[in-house]
Amino acid sequence: MLRQYLVRRLTLLFFMVLLLSLFTFTLSYLFPGDVSTNLSGIDSAGFNANDQITEKYKLNENYLLQYFAFIQHIVNGDWGLSLASGQPVFEHVKTLFPATVELALYALLISILIGIPTGVIAAAYHKKWQDHVIYTVTLFAYSTPVFWLALILIMAFCLQLGLLPMSGRISLLFEVEHQTGFLLIDILLSNNTYKQAALIDAFHHLLLPSIVLATYPTAVLVRFTKDAMLDVLDKSYIKSARAKGLNHSQIIFHHALRNALLPVISQIGLQFSTLITLAMITEVIFSWPGIGAWLINSIYQRDFPAIMGGLLTVSLFVIIATMIADILNTILDPVSRNRSHGQV
Amino acid sequence: MAKFKLFNEDANKSPLKHLWRHFKSNHSALVGLWVFLLLAILAISAPLIAPYGVNEQNAQALILPPSWDDAGQVEFILGTDGLGRDLLSRLMNGATSTFGLAILAALLTTAIGVVLGVFAGLTRGVKSSVLNHLLDITLAIPSLLLAIVIVAILGPGLMNTVWAIIFALLPQYIHSVRNLVAQELSKDYIVAQRLDGANKWQILKTGILPNIYEHIVVIFTMSLSTAVLDIAALGFLQLGAQAPTAEWGAILAENLSLIYLAPWTVALPGILLFIAILSTNLVGDGLRHALQKRRAS
Amino acid sequence: MRTLSMLCVLFTLLACSPAERKAGNLGLVYCAEANPASFNPQITTTGSTVDLISAQLYNRLLSIDPVSGEFKPELATSWQTSDDGKKITFTLRKDVLFHNTDYFTPTRAFNADDVIFTFTRLFDVYNPFHFVSEGNYPYFQSTGLDQLFRSVEKVDDYQVTFELFNADSSFLSNMATDFAVILSEEYAQKLLNNDNLEQIDVKPVGTGPYQFKQFQRDVMVRYYRNENYWQHPVALKQLVFDITPDSNTRIAKLLTKECDIAAYPSNAQIPVLEAREDLEVEMLANLNVGYWAFNTQKPPFDNVAVRRALAHAIDRNKIMQAVYFGNATAAHSILPPDSWAYQAQPNFPTYNPVLAKTLLEQAGFEDGFTMNIWAMPVSRIYNPNARKMAKLIQSDLKKVGITVNIIEYEWNTFLDKLTLHQHDSVLIGWAADSPDPVNFLSPILSCAAVFSGKNPSNWCNSEFDLVLTQAIDTNSIEQRKEHYYTAQQMISQQLPLLPIAHGLRLQAKSNQVSGINIPPFGGVQLANARKE
Repeated sequence: MLRQYLVRRLTLLFFMVLLLSLFTFTLSYLFPGDVSTNLSGIDSAGFNANDQITEKYKLNENYLLQYFAFIQHIVNGDWGLSLASGQPVFEHVKTLFPATVELALYALLISILIGIPTGVIAAAYHKKWQDHVIYTVTLFAYSTPVFWLALILIMAFCLQLGLLPMSGRISLLFEVEHQTGFLLIDILLSNNTYKQAALIDAFHHLLLPSIVLATYPTAVLVRFTKDAMLDVLDKSYIKSARAKGLNHSQIIFHHALRNALLPVISQIGLQFSTLITLAMITEVIFSWPGIGAWLINSIYQRDFPAIMGGLLTVSLFVIIATMIADILNTILDPVSRNRSHGQV
Repeated sequence: MAKFKLFNEDANKSPLKHLWRHFKSNHSALVGLWVFLLLAILAISAPLIAPYGVNEQNAQALILPPSWDDAGQVEFILGTDGLGRDLLSRLMNGATSTFGLAILAALLTTAIGVVLGVFAGLTRGVKSSVLNHLLDITLAIPSLLLAIVIVAILGPGLMNTVWAIIFALLPQYIHSVRNLVAQELSKDYIVAQRLDGANKWQILKTGILPNIYEHIVVIFTMSLSTAVLDIAALGFLQLGAQAPTAEWGAILAENLSLIYLAPWTVALPGILLFIAILSTNLVGDGLRHALQKRRAS
Repeated sequence: MRTLSMLCVLFTLLACSPAERKAGNLGLVYCAEANPASFNPQITTTGSTVDLISAQLYNRLLSIDPVSGEFKPELATSWQTSDDGKKITFTLRKDVLFHNTDYFTPTRAFNADDVIFTFTRLFDVYNPFHFVSEGNYPYFQSTGLDQLFRSVEKVDDYQVTFELFNADSSFLSNMATDFAVILSEEYAQKLLNNDNLEQIDVKPVGTGPYQFKQFQRDVMVRYYRNENYWQHPVALKQLVFDITPDSNTRIAKLLTKECDIAAYPSNAQIPVLEAREDLEVEMLANLNVGYWAFNTQKPPFDNVAVRRALAHAIDRNKIMQAVYFGNATAAHSILPPDSWAYQAQPNFPTYNPVLAKTLLEQAGFEDGFTMNIWAMPVSRIYNPNARKMAKLIQSDLKKVGITVNIIEYEWNTFLDKLTLHQHDSVLIGWAADSPDPVNFLSPILSCAAVFSGKNPSNWCNSEFDLVLTQAIDTNSIEQRKEHYYTAQQMISQQLPLLPIAHGLRLQAKSNQVSGINIPPFGGVQLANARKE
């Protein structure tokens, strides 16, 4: 049963990736400008270079062969050159993407640590003042544009109070060698004399962006957890537990919570895609050297190979994250296996 | 649960009236609705009632604070920006560009989304399966990211943003409508209707649509708040509305250079955005709760 | 309970304010506004690049004292000019070492070979490095310097003779600019052997106070100090350039102490900075001009009447207020009033929309037309906010029936595209590299500059070029002044560009930083910088 399910999911994943790669390939035709430039990142220079590119991407052949050539280069890590920097796009992606994932992971951690307990509290005190307060706060968090929130927090914590830095991942004076791309790990791996200071500094830099980024997903998680809890609390086995004479907290912690958390887990996976999108805006504001800020910058500069590379990475990541969440959810919650499609 | 009813007419009230009664009892939702309507009226009438032109520059009045400040002037109630343009007029016109266009985008999405969604709900077999899988993929990509992709192809611009947002919201819409239709289809009364010999379109007209339109309104409010947020976010990133269009996100980005000197030029468009999204969300939440309550009663 | 302990951790981390963070004594952070386009100032004239690299990584043969205007020895200890002015012999400093970096270890000290290599690369097409990085040497080409060298000869290890085709009064001041830096011949030889010529402009080796360590595009440039600097010990361990294109972010970073120095703060931010006790704002005189250049090869801008009409249509007072916030002088000629050849032009266009309309009608444009204005995306002394200026011009021109589209690109892309002359008009400017007035006129308006793509007006006027040549051919100050007066008149009559204002150079820094030297003719010298 499970194996059958997994096979089905993986086939779906395969088709999704196939479609995504087709879409990315089509982009090189959809974008304004030369197809060969959009693919290779080399401005149609001399005849010689042009011929080489045509040969490399099989631009004289039919679309199918072109597509295969494209896929081959993508798989080999040859994503063309960025028009703006002249460097390989794949190198950029390799250094920038971990920064984005790092930020998103910490934000996700914050939203789980705050969102789920708060949601449980809201459900436990349903229709009491605690619930109303939580509802109001989440509604506000839901409705605040992320860029505005970021600006307000920067104004308050960085410029007025001077407590936190407002840009980048770490003070540039700390020289941390790029190893994994995850800064905190890189600092721990490095053998600098100022390891501890660097760690604290990196943490300071991380604080505001991850809080800003976590706000929206936290609000979503609170609401979702609350709804899931209320759903479960309405079930007959809870009623029978109550009838047995268990008190409120026993029911919440021993019976309701475990069952309510199952749908929440798949929700967490879905949040990853929201996080990556919001991260793009957050990165721009906090000058976080991640893939989102780079992608948006590439759009300004009409750097088409970079846009294609960035989109491919981000979408691929989002799809895989969603899929993993889905599979995880199914393993934990066998009931959902029969549902063939996700629901909103 | 059956209740004891004193007056018989009560039971005959239309579902819509019931809905309104439940909605009315929720004060915050009601306030949200008023604000929402006010903004909608502003969005339509802004170019007519704004005291100054959107791009009218007053060289003598650069970066004036709001009128309640000591240095402010009464002529410019909310002050002026770095080019001497009246902030109030720009923000009022921003209601048209941000809120008005968001409503337009949401309405268009609704029109297309309902048609496609119903179609998807009514079809079965391979066609349906392919469509659903396609939807699953696009659903995984958040609307803002999708909008950014589309803007990257079409190039920056306000109208391009609107198209992008329509495209980006559509999958979610089709998916929800399809689920609603599928749910209704499996209900007994539809089966009864079918057994009576009703064809697809009759079932759709008399059975399904009257039962799902309230849900569509709820989805509409959800996609509207997303649309407002996305238009503003793209404007802020300078991928949407281009200068000198008065769009709240773009105004905010434009005045970032004055953030220390004239914080109100950044704060005010942000507050308006917040209010617009909040009121939309309040209405949406209110509707959803009212629907739930009506079901329960 | 868990949240409580989380909060405790949060507060302990917040409690150590930025002042206590230990990064401070590791070096100095300079918030720069753009990526360096290259690490060799020979191949660029972009101010943002030159600021980052020239004075920090390299030395010149000689320099100019900003106060007295006299030449001072740098890598050359003395120099002699022959009677006919065509031969100049430099005596070089001994025991100067090039940078010892990860990618190059010098085995010998600086000598005549380095000077010869540096300058033959510029003018000798047989030099293997001449065509590296596209063979463009914009400063040398636009000033005609590359055509001036006949040869560079070695007299002995520490003496070099430059032979020129003709005497040039601006030769020495050109040799003292930020572009005439000395490269290592030994390093070039090594790259030649490894067949890796491009590296010479990417991984620099010089004799300057700092040496290259790391460049991360759009993020930062890191230098270490040169432990063997010949002039004096360098105080800072590290010099980091934080690349921050947005001027608000730069100021914000200064306020949060993420930067110690912020390049080019915008005028709007000065009151905020002055209110802070831990920051200092300096306003320094600077030789520059912000202008609006028309593409004179493209109709209708090839028509002087149209250019004049446009010049009359814009309200410069509004620009002075809204863009410069009063920290500039309105231009009355292309040269700034501080230049010794300055002459206010009586026929300089003033704001007169009625006249502008009439001129347009006479030129056959009763119904106006549509044009574009390219606004440079960076803030410069000569134009702190080109986008805003473009918007003001946009609304002014609308009144005379001209529709304006504003166009922007990333800075290096902008400069690249500008050389292709696709624009109708552009808001840009020029900051001098040396006090010589020719440095103002020739790099942006000469025919040579058209060919090297550095003349945004695309304006090649042989009479004008002749006047400039006459001015550098003579050594008499009075005669040169006369020629420059003529040149200025020609510009205000022909209006290939409309000079708008001369900005004051603003500099904002933390008061813990001292020893920064900013000469009025551009660049910034951080050799003596220190931080408490």
